[in-house]
This record gives sequence, C-alpha cells and structure tokens, in this order.
Amino acid sequence: MKALLSFLQRANERLAVAAGLLLLVSVTVTLFDIVTRPFGLSLGGTDELSGYAMAIATSWGVSYALTSLAHVRIDLVRTRCSSRLQALFDMVAILSLAGVATIIAYRGWPVLSKTIETNATANTTLETPLWIPQSLWFAGWVWFALSALVLAVCVVVFVASGKSEEVQDVAGMRGEV
Amino acid sequence: MILFTSGGLLALLALSIPVGVVLFLLAFGLDAFFSPFPLMRGLGQIVWSSSNSATLIAIPFFVLLGQILVRSGVAQKTYSALEAWFSWLPGGLIHANIATATLFSATSGSSVATAATVASVATPQADRLGYDPKLFSGAIAAGGTLGIMIPPSINLIVYGFLTETSIPQLFLAGLIPGLLLAVLFMIVTAVICALKPSLGGPGVSATWQRRITGLADLIPLLGLFGTIVGTIYAGWATPTEAAAVGVAMAFAIAATQKAITRQMLIESLKGTVKTTAMIMLVVIGAYVLNFVLTAAGVSRALQDFLQGLGWSPLAMLLVIVLIYIVLGFFIETLSLMVATIPIVVPIVVGLGYDPLWFGILMILLVEMALITPPVGLNLYVVQGVRKSGPFTDVMIGAIPYAITMLVMAGLLILFPAIALYLPTHL
Amino acid sequence: EELSVVGSWSGLPLHKQFEKPFWDEKMPAASDGGITANLTTHDQMGINGGDVFRMLGQGVFDVGMTVADYAVSDAPALEGLDVPLIATDADSALAMVEAARPLIDDIFMDVFNAKVLGVAPYPPQVVFCNAEIAALEDLKGKKIRASGRMTGKLLEALGAEAVSISFGEVTGALQKGVVDCAVTGAGSGYSAGWWEVSTHLMPIPLGGWDPVVTAMNLDRWNSLSAADQALIQEAVEAELKAPAWEMAQNALETDIACLTGNGDCPGEKRGMTLVEASEADFDTARELLVSEVLPDWASRSGGDWGQRWNDTVGEVTGVQIPLN
Ligand code: NA
Ligand code: NA
Repeated sequence: MKALLSFLQRANERLAVAAGLLLLVSVTVTLFDIVTRPFGLSLGGTDELSGYAMAIATSWGVSYALTSLAHVRIDLVRTRCSSRLQALFDMVAILSLAGVATIIAYRGWPVLSKTIETNATANTTLETPLWIPQSLWFAGWVWFALSALVLAVCVVVFVASGKSEEVQDVAGMRGEV
Repeated sequence: MILFTSGGLLALLALSIPVGVVLFLLAFGLDAFFSPFPLMRGLGQIVWSSSNSATLIAIPFFVLLGQILVRSGVAQKTYSALEAWFSWLPGGLIHANIATATLFSATSGSSVATAATVASVATPQADRLGYDPKLFSGAIAAGGTLGIMIPPSINLIVYGFLTETSIPQLFLAGLIPGLLLAVLFMIVTAVICALKPSLGGPGVSATWQRRITGLADLIPLLGLFGTIVGTIYAGWATPTEAAAVGVAMAFAIAATQKAITRQMLIESLKGTVKTTAMIMLVVIGAYVLNFVLTAAGVSRALQDFLQGLGWSPLAMLLVIVLIYIVLGFFIETLSLMVATIPIVVPIVVGLGYDPLWFGILMILLVEMALITPPVGLNLYVVQGVRKSGPFTDVMIGAIPYAITMLVMAGLLILFPAIALYLPTHL
Repeated sequence: EELSVVGSWSGLPLHKQFEKPFWDEKMPAASDGGITANLTTHDQMGINGGDVFRMLGQGVFDVGMTVADYAVSDAPALEGLDVPLIATDADSALAMVEAARPLIDDIFMDVFNAKVLGVAPYPPQVVFCNAEIAALEDLKGKKIRASGRMTGKLLEALGAEAVSISFGEVTGALQKGVVDCAVTGAGSGYSAGWWEVSTHLMPIPLGGWDPVVTAMNLDRWNSLSAADQALIQEAVEAELKAPAWEMAQNALETDIACLTGNGDCPGEKRGMTLVEASEADFDTARELLVSEVLPDWASRSGGDWGQRWNDTVGEVTGVQIPLN
C-alpha cells in the first residue's frame, strides 16, 4: 500500500509539471498574439485555445492538489478532536471527495460521447474538433476519480487498523500557505 | 429548502469536507429533493463549460507570476527601499510593512501570497530591532489582505466570472478603496503608536540620499503594476493578456536577479497547478450549485422570503454585511465568497444595488475574514513565517486593522463613489 | 402536465414580451390549466447557450429555447438556417426560416433528440461602428465584434477581422478602439448605450436574424397525448411565433429611429449617422456568400445538406450554392 501511495504521489507531481507546462505554452501563445497584433498577424482563436488549456490543466491538476492536501477544508471542529477522531473526519472527507470525483467523471462521459457522435467542432472560425480537448479533459477527471478512490480505500484500511498517523499523512490537513 | 441549503452548507463544512466537494454535495442534495429537473444529467456539460474559460485562465497566470516573483528575491530590496521612506513615522517599520504589502498587492492577485512575501522579509527585522511583535505582525497580516482589493485580484476575477460583471471594471473599482485602506492602516498605526510608543519600535530616519537611490529598487514592481493595470485600463489587453505579460516580466525580473533555475521553474509550475486546481474545484462547485439553486427555484424562494419581510434595502444590506462578518470568523476567503455569491448577489442586485460596488464591498468583508480568528488564513501565514511566539500575538495585533476595515465598509456604504468613481469616469 | 422550460436571454424583449407571458399565462389558459410551465432562462441558470439543446436532449429539462446558432458545434448544418444579408426584412427572414423548417426538424430530431415547436426571431443583428463608414466595403481591415461562425467567415471574406468579446465588454472596446465595429440587435445596442461609443449605424443584418428555436425533448413529447401535442403546437404557432415575427420589423424601424433621431421614437432620440447599404453592397455580399462562404458551409455540413438547402432556402431566396 505504501508503494502504491508513493507511486500516486510521484505520478501526480509529474502530471502537475505537465499541466504547468501546458499553462506556460498558453502564456507564450497569448504573448505571441499580443506582440503580433499591431501587425495584423494575430492568430485568432487564442482565447479558444486558452479555454481548452484551462479546462485540461484543471482536470489534471485536481489530483495533484488532492495528494498534496491542498483542497481547502474548514478545520474548526476537527482541530478540537483527538487524533483518532480526526482520522474519522479525514475518512469522511476523502470518501465524499471520492464519491463526488466519481460522479463528475461518470457524468463527464456523455459530454465526450456526444461530441464523438456528432463530430462536434467548436462554434468558431477555427472549427477545432472538440473531441481532442474534451478527451484530454475527461481523462483528467477519470484520473482524479481513480486517485481519490485509491486514497479512500487506503484511508479506510488505515482507520480500520487504527493507524491514525498514516491517515493524517495521506488525507489529513496541512498548515496551509 | 432555504433551511436545507444553509444548514447543509454549514454542517458539511463543519465536517471538514473539502469546500469544493461540499458545494457539489449540496447541489446533488437539492437536485434530488427539490428540483423538478433531473439536473445531474447535465453535470458533465456544466463542468466542461465552466472550466473551458479564457477568462479564468488569468488565475493560473497571476498565480504563476506571484510564484516567480516570490522566488526572485525582489521583495527584500523593495522592503529596504520603502523602509527608508516610511519608517520615520510613529510606528517605524510597521509602516514599511504596510507599504510593502500595498506595493506587492499591486502585482499579486492573492492575499495569502502577499502576506507570505512581506512576512518573510519583514519578520527578521522585528526581532533584530526589538519591536513589539503584536502590532508588527498584525500589520503584515492586514496589509497582505490588500492583495485581493488592489488589482490584479484573483478573487475579483472569480466574482466577475460568477456574476457576469466586467472584470476590468471591477479592477478599476478596487483601486481607490485599496489605496484608501492602506492609508487608513498607516493612520491607525501612527495614532496607536503616538499614543503608546511601546507598541511600535524605534523610528528610523534615513538620509535623503538613501531614499532616492532606493527608488531604483521599486522600479521592477512599479513597472509590473503599471504594465498589468495600465494595459487593462487602456483597453489594450484583457486581464488574461495582461497577466501573460506580467508572467514574462516576472521572468525578466527573476533573470536580472539570477534567480531562474530548473528547480525554481518546476517548483513554480507545481505551485501554480496546485493553487489553481484548488481554486477551480471550488469555482466549478459554485457554478454547479448556482445552476441547481436557480433551476430548483431556491434563489427565487429566498428573494420572495426577503421581500416578504418588507425591510428597507439598507437594513437588508446591513444584515447581509453582518452575516459576512460572522461567517468570516469561520470560513476562509475564497470559499466564503464562492459559496455565497450564487445566493447573495441576486438578492443584493434585486434590492437595487450595483453589482460592481457590491463586489468591492464583498472583497472588503472577505479581507476581514482573512484576519479574524479562529479561521483567518493570513494570521496563520504570518504565524507560520514567524515560527516563534504565541499565535495570539498576531491575532491581537490584527484587531485594530479589522476595526479599520469595518470603518472602511461603512464609508463604502455611505459613499459608493469611492468604488464607482473610477469605473464611471474612465 | 407541468413542463420545465428554459428560455432565451432573460433580459431581451423576446423573452420578456413573448416567452414569459406565453408560458406563464397563455399556455395554461389555452389548455384550461392542463399544461403549466416552470420557466427559467439559460443565463439565469448560468449555463452556456451552446449547452441548452444538448441538455434538452439528455432530458435535463422539457423545453429549451435558444438561438440556433449556439448549437452549430453539434450540427453545422444549422448555420444554413440563418445566412447573413440574404433576408433584409422580417417577411423574407420568415420565408427563409419557413423554407428551412424541414431541415431544422430533421437536425433536431437526429442530433438533439428533440421536437421543434417553433422558430421566432431576434431582431436583425445590425452593425454599430465607431469609425466612418459609407458602404459595406469600408468594413475591410476593420476589427469587428460578431458572433456566429458564418458571420465570422463572411467578415473574413470581406477582409475584416472577426473578434469575439462578450456583450458586456463591447462599450469599452468600442470606446478604446479595441474594435471598430460591433454587431448586435438594434434594440440591444440602444439599451446598452452603444450609441454613446459609436458614430455610424448600418442597419443591415450582417449577423443574420439569430432565430430562436423552441424545442421539446422527444421522449417528453411522445409521452404527451395527441390532444396535448396538438394544443401545444397550435398555441406556440399562434401565441408565440406569430406575434414575435410581427413585432420584429416594427421594432427594427423604431430602434433605428431612436438611434438616429429620425422618425418615431417612444424613448430618447440619439444622433447616430445612418448608413444605408446600397444594392451594390448586397450584390457584393451575395457574391462572397455564393463563391466562398456557402460552399464552405456545404462541405462543412457534409451529406446532401448543400443540395437540400438549394432546394428549400435557396429556392425562396434566389441564392444557389454551386455544388460539384
Ligand atoms: Na492585487
Ligand atoms: Na476569519
């Protein structure tokens, strides 16, 4: 289980860097657009591409935020509890997150499948085939759901075997900056 | 229905379930129990459409800009330059804290990042010069909150996105209130320290020569602010484009400080993705919740209920402000904004208030939430950097500034022009 | 039967004057209270215009009403329903839409699992410029805010640059010269204060008529009794569609009068310069449509859509797409 969790952690770090690079590409394209605009060379469609980058970077980034314990939680009641009770809080939190993540991924499929069915292209002059950005976007949410389910299972096992500290490590809260 | 929504919100948040997840759960619950539409069939479409946004990509751009700037080492020089100008006032270095926070706010979109940056350069000085830690660290926590009022501001982008208010207009509207608040902070500091000098520290006067030469160190940040805000106001660039230019300039600044390394770049990217994803889960959750609230008629029910009370718009507004202050003790900034925007903004607009103006008032109230205990993110950030002394120091030190914010809220309600002057005249 | 209905833009006259009274009063009255509606709009729900018919097909709600042009991602053939500049008044626009109706019905059936109840117009999408223009060809080299793919392609063919910015940002963009011209309904431009930031008004439907399709989820439609179906169909025809088309032409004339200060205007008159398009202008536009824009559309739509268009819309409007 340790190995699985550390694989998840490392995979998400890599994915985060990839998502970050995608954002950096988007910065570059935007800059190119601004610089060339006075000369009438503007690409057109920068906004459209930025939108896709945002959707994709978001769907792949949520897993990294999950494994680095960055999703905001309100700590008011939890801090006043014993560490065993805190582990229960963490379990409820990760179970609800895994549930929501699964529902999002499940409900994401019809978006992509309709696009494939109708061969949908963006309602722009660029006519981007939408299956390209949407499959990358959808895959991100599926990965998020998988990450969350793996974490949830591990946390349930840890709680059942009374390992509160391990719970804190993989699904606890971090003094956030 | 109203009880279900507000009760459910608070209960799930208290369970320490991630805020974004709470918003989704609430939407699922409302859909299942109250909606005539099987809304969740459209969930995927909403998640796609709300995150496929060229407006929202300004958020990671501004976060990345901040990540690079923090690692560039420019904060230290800025602080010394501002210290030379302001620390002769009663309260000494505390004014440098506020001034540095103000200047960083003008380039950073986030309050937490602003507070962290200023704290990291200012706290070593407090120990060295023997300042009373309370007011000193309270000023950093409070000054940092300006990060979301003075443009650029991630929170204003989110507000504009969710309420369909013009983001450039919101940026304009935040400028005067932000600067005014900074001045009020300084006045309050000076008055407190003049009355009780032991709360401040030794005033340090600098020579005019040092002041003038120090100005050169302010050029990077002022240039960055001028470019970002100037191009947006002139209409040359959208907030997203201005943010991209800002990223390029931040790289340039970091390059002149020889701070760019492969490691630094990777850390910046990871930090950016983490923060962005965290924000986006909450924003998408709010979007889904808004969809359900409207479709299930909760927004209308709430408006009817409030109209039924027959109170004056002002009374209603004051109740809303009070609710924000109370919730602000317990709920962190962005979550507070995003969870309440779908419910509150339609009501306020229905009362006849300007959504632009209310955006600024709301920012002010969530700024206050950042420095009110027990959940005050900026207090924790400053304490985290301090690493010594009790947390209560920061908490107590921030109280005068929280009161100043209340005064500012009163001014904003009495004189809406403070926020609306620039957007209507530029 | 209670229907959940999602209307078009809540702030525009089509919704306020026709959709809302129709679903809140006229439909229930026509059915003696047998058919009622739970009405909201896509902008109030915060959903994208482009998602309305997709969600309708999924059964998220029963009736959806929105601009056909928003749905062309899934069905490029729908663009052919609203070709810019070939219908210059409401009567010919109605004729164009009526001719296209069998095509629209098929598209909605196949792509969105929906039954079309009626098609009503937005006012024609005219041109506001903050630059001196005298004819269509003066748009060459200008940056123009427009929506809709076919309008964008036509602008490109005219040598102009199509820019997409949201409605709320247009006044600022016109004022600061980020765009030179912008396309919207004359009435929307009047109430949003575009006359303050632009000088010339060219009242030609460069953005088409933006027809709004009212459609019902097919499963829901099939679940209704034949009597209810007939009742709804008749009511939409007589109480929603007909009055909306009747209004369209008068509204345009009034709005132009208000914007230019010449003629009968119930509100405050403004002083924009009216630029009348000449026959030559329309000929140019038609030429570009036939030589570039429409053939491009026909190949984008695939199938026999080009031929079907020629046989229906083309027949009525006298425009034929050269197909090979
Ligand atoms: Na800022
Ligand atoms: Na607080």
